[in-house]
Amino acid sequence: MHLKLFVLSASSVVLWLAPLATLNKTLDIHKALQGVSLGAAIACAVAAGNIAREQAEQNDIEEIKTRAITADVVDEIATSAYISQQQRQQEAELILASPSDEVEANRQALEAIYSESLQDNTSASEHPDYLMYLEICKSREAGKSITWIVENILKMGGRKFSDGKVKLQTLLNKFEEEK
Amino acid sequence: MRAMYLANYFVAGCIAFSLLGWVASLHPIAFRAVLCFLAAIAIAWGLSWLLDFSLSKLLKISVADLQALLISGLAMLLIGLGVFLCT
Repeated sequence: MHLKLFVLSASSVVLWLAPLATLNKTLDIHKALQGVSLGAAIACAVAAGNIAREQAEQNDIEEIKTRAITADVVDEIATSAYISQQQRQQEAELILASPSDEVEANRQALEAIYSESLQDNTSASEHPDYLMYLEICKSREAGKSITWIVENILKMGGRKFSDGKVKLQTLLNKFEEEK
Repeated sequence: MRAMYLANYFVAGCIAFSLLGWVASLHPIAFRAVLCFLAAIAIAWGLSWLLDFSLSKLLKISVADLQALLISGLAMLLIGLGVFLCT
């Protein structure tokens, strides 16, 4: 298209100037040729002008399209960022609006799901002595003495009492370290 | 590209005035006709300068654009007829 435009422009100028400069105005045939040449030159110049105008309009449209696409992308990014922010704000407001014990429960549940300590606890709970350890903890919280715990929970009274004390200490050390 | 299309239309206007000169050179009656046509153009051109604001509203273009058109029309006439007479 550009080549056509340049050829038409150049030919219009050549068809305008060359016959006027070279041909004799007194001869009828030359005069006729000049007229034809000038008419053709006008046609070439108008055609080239039309092509150039179409190209200029297309360039303007492309520029407008590019600007519109850029504005659309920017708007989309801004909207998604705004929505994301709104969602986070709503979630935070919901958490704040719920009762405190529920928040604590949610927090503990989340901790249970995501923290590695839960995995350790899970492995500890699968241990056969874990239930015994829980009973020991409850008894200690209830204020029971070590002797009572050894005799009634570990069932190691009498001659096995010293072994029972060692076992108790081992259990406590084991599960409290894992905690 | 915009300059290209303006230049092409300008060249077309110059060639049109050269063609007008060529028509004027064909016959004395044609010469008078062309002179009358040029006189009419000159009157219209002068009136356009006087009525530029109302004419710009009528044509829905800015006054600056209208004045540019009038000046370029004069330049086309001078160049076109000048090229025809000097060659």
